[in-house]
Amino acid sequence: MHKAKKESTHLPLFILGGVVLYFLSGMVDELRVYQGATIAVYVIAISSIILLTGYSGQVSLGHGALMAVGAYAAAVLRIEFNLPIILCFIVAVLAAAIGGALLGAAAARLSGPYLAGTTLALAIGLPSLANQFEILGGEQGLLFDVGFPPLALGEEFTQYKWFFWIAALAALISMWVIRNLLNSAFGRAWRAGRGNEVAAQLAGINTARSKVLAFTISAGIAGLAGALLAMIIGTVSPSAFPLALSFSLLTGAVLSGITTLGGVIIGAVVLVAIPEIADVVAHRLGSSESVTTNLPGLIVSGLLILTVLFVPNGPVEQHRARKAKHAAQHASTK
Amino acid sequence: MQLLNTLLIGITAGSIYALMAIAFVLVWRSTRVVNFAQAGMALLSTYFGYEAVSRIGSFWVALPVAMIGGALFAALVELILMRLLVKHASSGPIAGVAPIIATLGLLGVIRSVISMIWGGQDLRIVAPISNNGFTINGSTLVFSPLKLLVLVVVAVLLILLTVLFQKTNLGLALRASAHAPEIARLSGVRVDSVRTLGWALAGAAGAVAGLFQTVNGNGNFSPDSIEFSLLLVSGFIAAVIGGLDSLLGAVLGGLFLGITISFVLMYVSSGLFFIAPFIILLIVLFLRPQGIIGVKAGRRA
Repeated sequence: MHKAKKESTHLPLFILGGVVLYFLSGMVDELRVYQGATIAVYVIAISSIILLTGYSGQVSLGHGALMAVGAYAAAVLRIEFNLPIILCFIVAVLAAAIGGALLGAAAARLSGPYLAGTTLALAIGLPSLANQFEILGGEQGLLFDVGFPPLALGEEFTQYKWFFWIAALAALISMWVIRNLLNSAFGRAWRAGRGNEVAAQLAGINTARSKVLAFTISAGIAGLAGALLAMIIGTVSPSAFPLALSFSLLTGAVLSGITTLGGVIIGAVVLVAIPEIADVVAHRLGSSESVTTNLPGLIVSGLLILTVLFVPNGPVEQHRARKAKHAAQHASTK
Repeated sequence: MQLLNTLLIGITAGSIYALMAIAFVLVWRSTRVVNFAQAGMALLSTYFGYEAVSRIGSFWVALPVAMIGGALFAALVELILMRLLVKHASSGPIAGVAPIIATLGLLGVIRSVISMIWGGQDLRIVAPISNNGFTINGSTLVFSPLKLLVLVVVAVLLILLTVLFQKTNLGLALRASAHAPEIARLSGVRVDSVRTLGWALAGAAGAVAGLFQTVNGNGNFSPDSIEFSLLLVSGFIAAVIGGLDSLLGAVLGGLFLGITISFVLMYVSSGLFFIAPFIILLIVLFLRPQGIIGVKAGRRA
């Protein structure tokens, strides 16, 4: 019997990444630290899309709404019961995962555009529910205060740096978990189901269950991202989770390469950088206010179309495919 | 009386959803794509209509202007975006989701460009006739001449479309390309041009839906107006209820959705405005995933 090679879990790599980030956060100014925290949140949110769309082959336009579920769960617990912050985050993951499991149960019966439309309806409908219940704070939303950084970290330790630490740690942990999930039997089952559902079923995979599982896990991760986003903004309100957020995440995932988990940092950095770039461009051109405010949206959507048209499977995958083709040509000429 | 009012409001709203659903169905039949930019196109056509109204001053000129503008724009999208998409993104893990992502991107682009050109503020199109209810036996109905007009125009358009599809050679080509593109091509149908035409018809139908959604509401519209998000979701849901492949199904789906929402808002809670369509969609997908009159088959795209 051939003994399967034991896959390394790459734990040391992720710990090293954490150490690098730790020193980096001490060296840059406050704005960059804030942006770093936002990037960490996008990394988590985009990787939830990569898991769902890239691996399991399901599209969700409702991940903005699932992020809202996580954020509201965390904020309500913090306000009503004053739970420790780590518990709030765990509940955010669980709440969004339950929402995802329900949605996933419906989603497993759907595919392609049906699923996209259903989750789109959710993304438009769900935030309005916040106005229905007193406890969710209506249009103003809820305050979400994770508290000051521990005194042990020193007097100069700023609030934003504290946010960054929490978000970066969460990002590292979730990336590590997702990476190893994707390389496990679950990940293989998702890819098999995406490639050819009938063949996967013949190979003994319960594709329906596998799809629901992917949706549940992806939703849980999105919930964590939502709670972290709320932490950085300081409040949870319907307007913090607009439809545009779901679209941005999709853009980020496509830019990263929809099947390339390692590329997720590209998507996250681009999403955070676009408003800044748009600002600079608009000022250079001396354009009017209506152009300035809408330029970021135009760039995000334009990038989404261009990427899908010209590097549909992401830059990393494109490069790999080109290299493989090159090698094949080389071999055949020999 | 309240029952009748609720029913009439539902039928009017439903007929607008039906138009939007027809736009979805036309695009689906011609290219097997659900066009999530459909509401964006309807919004753009509404701005075309607004320009016509403000220059010429007549709603009756604005309607055909919006329809032609919407049709041309949709044809352009099919010619450029959809053909590039088929060429570049039809393999690899992205293939299944590429059209969805591309049309969503288009929705974003349309919205941003509209905001840049016309600004984000509310613009207004005044209805051509009164929206004050008819009076019967001294009590005033919610049903107005305007709502009657919406119904009449939608009905006329439906009859025209049916005649086009069932009685003309062009309609035969449209149906043939939808059902068996390869065989249609072998029989000499120019399938590619027919696809573009399908998109153009959808653009025109969406334009009417956009204009009527605006005047049937309070007449105001803006790039961010929730009316158009609702139009997108409701049109899609109506098309799915109808089976996504059938024009008659789209009409029935639209009316069913409009009437159901109207009753839910009146008798359950008006706060369910946005979540009701979603719940209706879930129920339909669980009970009859093939739509009201769709054939029994797996939902695969």
